[in-house]
Amino acid sequence: MSRHLSGFRAWMWQRASAIYLAGFLVYTLGYLIVAPPLDHQALKSWLGGSGMWLATALFFLALLLHAWIGVRDVILDYIGPAGLRLGILAAVFLFLLVCGLWVLSILMGVL
Amino acid sequence: MMMPSQPRPVFLNLFQIRLPVAGVMSIAHRIAGVLLFLAIPFAIALLSLALADEKGFFQTQALLQQPLTQMGLLLLLWALSHHFLAGIRYLLIDIHLGVQAPRYRHTAWAVLIAAPVLAVLLLWGLS
Amino acid sequence: MEFQIYRFNPDIDQEPYIQSFTVEVERGMMLRDVLLEIKRRDESFAFRHSCGEGVCGSDGVNVNGKNQLACITPVADYTDDPVVIRPLPGRPVIRDLVVDMSDFYHQYHAVDPWLKRKDPVPEQENLQTPEQRARLDGLWECILCGCCSTSCPSFWWNPQKFLGPQALLSSWRFLADSRDQAEDERLNDLDGPYKVFRCHTIMNCVDACPKHLNPTRAIGHIRNLMLKKSV
Repeated sequence: MSRHLSGFRAWMWQRASAIYLAGFLVYTLGYLIVAPPLDHQALKSWLGGSGMWLATALFFLALLLHAWIGVRDVILDYIGPAGLRLGILAAVFLFLLVCGLWVLSILMGVL
Repeated sequence: MMMPSQPRPVFLNLFQIRLPVAGVMSIAHRIAGVLLFLAIPFAIALLSLALADEKGFFQTQALLQQPLTQMGLLLLLWALSHHFLAGIRYLLIDIHLGVQAPRYRHTAWAVLIAAPVLAVLLLWGLS
Repeated sequence: MEFQIYRFNPDIDQEPYIQSFTVEVERGMMLRDVLLEIKRRDESFAFRHSCGEGVCGSDGVNVNGKNQLACITPVADYTDDPVVIRPLPGRPVIRDLVVDMSDFYHQYHAVDPWLKRKDPVPEQENLQTPEQRARLDGLWECILCGCCSTSCPSFWWNPQKFLGPQALLSSWRFLADSRDQAEDERLNDLDGPYKVFRCHTIMNCVDACPKHLNPTRAIGHIRNLMLKKSV
């Protein structure tokens, strides 16, 4: 039963997304400590710049993927009954999807 | 042999089973992950407010400086620091760095101690 | 010294309980000697043991929260009273310290723990260089005591779907063996989110192994082999 996110694929994508998330966080937190944007215009132009905008969009994509795989692992570990498990997984998926669409709409406003 | 009429008991009292340091670090990594997951919509909401307009930006700043928010921020930065550092340790173990005794216990201690320190440093640096 | 022992007789007891014994401790005594003394006093006390030297894997027990082999664990390691001895965690208790290891054996069997060859049987041996043989060190020594898998939270929660550290170490023992010729078949049998991937590198197993083996490292090898084959 080797569908999309079976065992190995999930593990690999979790590692790959982790590496990207780590790199982005180190850069962004470092930037915010050393040269924080001081007003709304500064923030908007920082995130709106083509490189940063793409990197931020990728960050949220990687975050949602990483979170999905992680929370799914927690659910597979602790929730036994199949019906309950399916319900909770669906709720988490929906929650992350909504978060993703919300972030997308925010980022579109910065372009 | 007589079949048991009741299900057999199981010894699984987590308070009586010793959890080694790497295990403590591991469950903390999981708890931190769940906390961060729950914090995602709040983080997005803050981003949305800061990006809305000039007023929104300053409202975000003011909100982040409230003592209650600062406490919550410290907790989340601790969760982030621990999850991040433990994650690095896991990635290194994946390539067989620090997978042997006693090093894996040393790195587990290092993560447990460095995470709150990093959290405080981050809070101070970001304020 | 005072020893508190987990007792349960399914024919008599509704619930397990702790029974206290005071035993005269002599130099060089192992925990198994204490258990044997308790059995001398109480014939009904049940626990598994055999070789007395840490190679048969029969007498795995939980001592003050940590899994040990009773026959090679010195009483001198414990300076504080009382010493609490309970059965291996997560396994159904048949009687006193004797537990049902069926899930554990089932998972071992599930990885086909024998050499699989496709070539015809050679005249004499299946030859192996010293370097190839060295790859089996730290893997062949497993005595199937169960200390590792019964210390693993993932095995506690899913003992029928997750293979557990012992079976996974065994699986790698054959994947790493140059004489084995069923690598693809073995890797395919390890698919899905449960068999290998309930392992979250908690590493309780490495702490627990009385033979100082490292299931986490073996599982890492399996995952890296899967990665190598996927690109």
